[in-house]
Amino acid sequence: MVFASFAVILGVYWDVSWHRSIGRDSFLSPPHVSIYLGGIVAGLACAVVVLRTSFAGTEAERAASVRFWRFFRGPLGAWVAIWGTFAMLTSAPFDDWWHNAYGLDVEILSPPHTVLALGIWAIQLGALLQVLALQNRGDAADGERFYRVAYAVTAGLVLLNVAIMSWEYQYRELMHQPLFYQVACGIYPLFLIGMAWASRLRWRFTAAAAVYTLTVMAMIWVFPRFPATPRLGPIEHMVDYLVAPDFPLLLVAPAFAMDLLARRGERWNRWALAAALGTTFFAVLLAVQWIFADFLMSPLARNWFFGSHLTSDYGGLRPWEFDDYGGGTGGMITGLAIALGISLVSARIGLGWGEWMRRVRR
Amino acid sequence: MMRRILAIAAVLAASVPLAAHVGSPTVAFQGRAGSYPVRVVIRPPEVIPGQAEVSVRVTGGGVRRVTVQPVFWAYPNGAPPADEAKPVAGEEGLYASPIWFMTQGSYSVRVGVEGAAGRGVVMVPIGPVATRIKDMPAGMGWVLTGLGLFLLVGAVSIVGSAVREGQLPPGEQPDARRRTKARVAAAVSAGLMVLVLTAGKKWWDGEDAAYRAGLHRPMAMEGRVDATTEGRVLRFTIVDTLWRRNPPTPIVPDHGKLMHMFLVREPALDVFAHLHPVKADSFTFRTGLPALPPGRYRVYGDVVHESGFTRTLVDTVQVPAGHAGGGLDPDDSWHAGAASVSGEAALADGGRMRWEMSGDRPHAGRETTLRFRVTAPDGRPAVLEPYMGMMAHAVVTRADGTVFVHLHPMGTVSLASQQLFDQRARGDTARDASGRLVLRAGGNAHAAHAAEEPGVVSFPYEFPKAGRYRVWVQVRRAGRVQTAAFDLDVP
Repeated sequence: MVFASFAVILGVYWDVSWHRSIGRDSFLSPPHVSIYLGGIVAGLACAVVVLRTSFAGTEAERAASVRFWRFFRGPLGAWVAIWGTFAMLTSAPFDDWWHNAYGLDVEILSPPHTVLALGIWAIQLGALLQVLALQNRGDAADGERFYRVAYAVTAGLVLLNVAIMSWEYQYRELMHQPLFYQVACGIYPLFLIGMAWASRLRWRFTAAAAVYTLTVMAMIWVFPRFPATPRLGPIEHMVDYLVAPDFPLLLVAPAFAMDLLARRGERWNRWALAAALGTTFFAVLLAVQWIFADFLMSPLARNWFFGSHLTSDYGGLRPWEFDDYGGGTGGMITGLAIALGISLVSARIGLGWGEWMRRVRR
Repeated sequence: MMRRILAIAAVLAASVPLAAHVGSPTVAFQGRAGSYPVRVVIRPPEVIPGQAEVSVRVTGGGVRRVTVQPVFWAYPNGAPPADEAKPVAGEEGLYASPIWFMTQGSYSVRVGVEGAAGRGVVMVPIGPVATRIKDMPAGMGWVLTGLGLFLLVGAVSIVGSAVREGQLPPGEQPDARRRTKARVAAAVSAGLMVLVLTAGKKWWDGEDAAYRAGLHRPMAMEGRVDATTEGRVLRFTIVDTLWRRNPPTPIVPDHGKLMHMFLVREPALDVFAHLHPVKADSFTFRTGLPALPPGRYRVYGDVVHESGFTRTLVDTVQVPAGHAGGGLDPDDSWHAGAASVSGEAALADGGRMRWEMSGDRPHAGRETTLRFRVTAPDGRPAVLEPYMGMMAHAVVTRADGTVFVHLHPMGTVSLASQQLFDQRARGDTARDASGRLVLRAGGNAHAAHAAEEPGVVSFPYEFPKAGRYRVWVQVRRAGRVQTAAFDLDVP
């Protein structure tokens, strides 16, 4: 399941890079195959599990499953992942029609892509739930260590998924604007806390953020080593390599601070803990990302490690200056206050979700 | 006024008004790539970015390879690698390849032929524009709705199962409290999903509206005929805000004229004029009217932009009775009379023109050749002279006005547009300008191909849909323009 989730999310990043460098694609381009194969493998594996549990399962297996539509039984995670596979498969013809009706892919955040992302997330969530059920029942003692790592990796994959869907709002030229922080605060506390809270690692948030960070960095180091030729005209910016994704957000910093806080606040009132986590995320992200954005714009970031010159759009090179923010100081303060508010709500929902996940046993 | 608006609305609504044509998007070109005679047909996509189908028919043997390549700026700036067109099975000399257009505007397809006679290239201009949003096929709509419902019900069921049993130790049965809680959770999640779907619908509608706003639309025009002391004067004005807000590149002459205007009297299509207005101001074209009988006329104005983009400006005007106006262009011509249905028409000079349809009867959606044989009054093949640089002009219109196109022996493409691509400043890749031209001395009136056979002219074309068509063909003999009209039912 973890492998399949990884194949899917890698396929998504590869596909975005493919679109931005080569442009032309077909239904069976290698990235698409990676996405759908991963989805189908995950779905089939879970289908086998639920069919066996439903009709040929041992008493113990049936006892550790949930009932679905009267006749079926299977682990909760398997049902969620199967749902995800169906959502992914639904998005395929929907997306294909979308391109026929409105033109080739020019945006990431579109309705069919959202259905796809939901499906991918469901598969990831299914994998998380299956690990959790074992862990929370105490059945995972044998492979305790393996499961802990697998869980952290999968939580990191969830971050990769939401990162790519919000890509168009997380460009470096937007990093000095409230909207950037509003979007980041809307999604990351929710998914970081929601998915990683149930992890039994000591550094649960840091680990998930590190998986996200290292995966994206690895893509920055690897993608540009492959040749690519733009195949759609007019080509406004000629590249001869597969363009890299943008440098990952410094989620590791707020995640680390949240881990420190969570260790002290394990027994706090949940509202107080969520408020503290949400505020921490907002404050640390704002502090580090704002300054880091200046670095990303500088010539110092134009090397193989940060790769800020290796990313481009079909429309040309990415800018080396921040977009103008027309809101003035007052607008900035209000906008950031809204981001903080969003962060608090996002963290509270995430914590509630995470608490629920901690008690999953089937 | 109201009738006028309705009339315009009827013409516009009935047609799919495109670039240098109305409702006839397929580009047909006949010419040479080096020493190879080629016939190029490009069927553009209706959505942009989208894929066009290019077919190249090469006559003459020894062809090894045919390539096609979309060019937006001056070649080779920004052009992707050429694609090899594959031979079409069962059709000798026919090659086909899809090609991508990523943006609306003036493109050119660079066709290359390699073979025994070396390498030849030719540029075929085309202005792909997004014209509509495709509907979802009904079958697919049902499949997607079914899958969507399945996902919805599945998600609600999963939430129910999760709350009912997800946190119970293995083997334990859910109690009544958990069962109730599960039902409530399922109901709440169903409500939430409906909210999400509603938001999704709004989003979709927003995307749809944004796309629609970018669709190519015809420029709003206002045509008016004034009776002056010097005769009737037609003023044809661009009144569209789009032209002011987002001005296209300047208009350049095409075979010597800034605008080729065609007037067709409704509803009988019995009067036809081919005029050449000049600019009165930044938005208005002006021409005197020849001795046309009064009535309601469709007006089509073909122009070419500096970018190479071509467009047809459309309106209808009421022409009052009056005497011929001053200020006519020496190349203006007009014709009145019924059309020939037999395929043979008498010309004003006593000669005849015959539409030669040898087996290859035109069908909608199939490339064809419109071939005409002109004879002098003495019955011998007419000696034709170029008329504005072309051996012949043809105007094709569907009886209801939903199709209009102006053809030459080289096809549907504009000569000026083709030359602009050869004259582009090499360094320029500015998106909006899409290539300024380097002005060269001299006009562009050198396209006159020698007639294939004395007195014979032909036009490559593809009728876009079935129906009754009126075709006017114009040639020049002994210094005078001769016009013949034909009717044709296209199956």
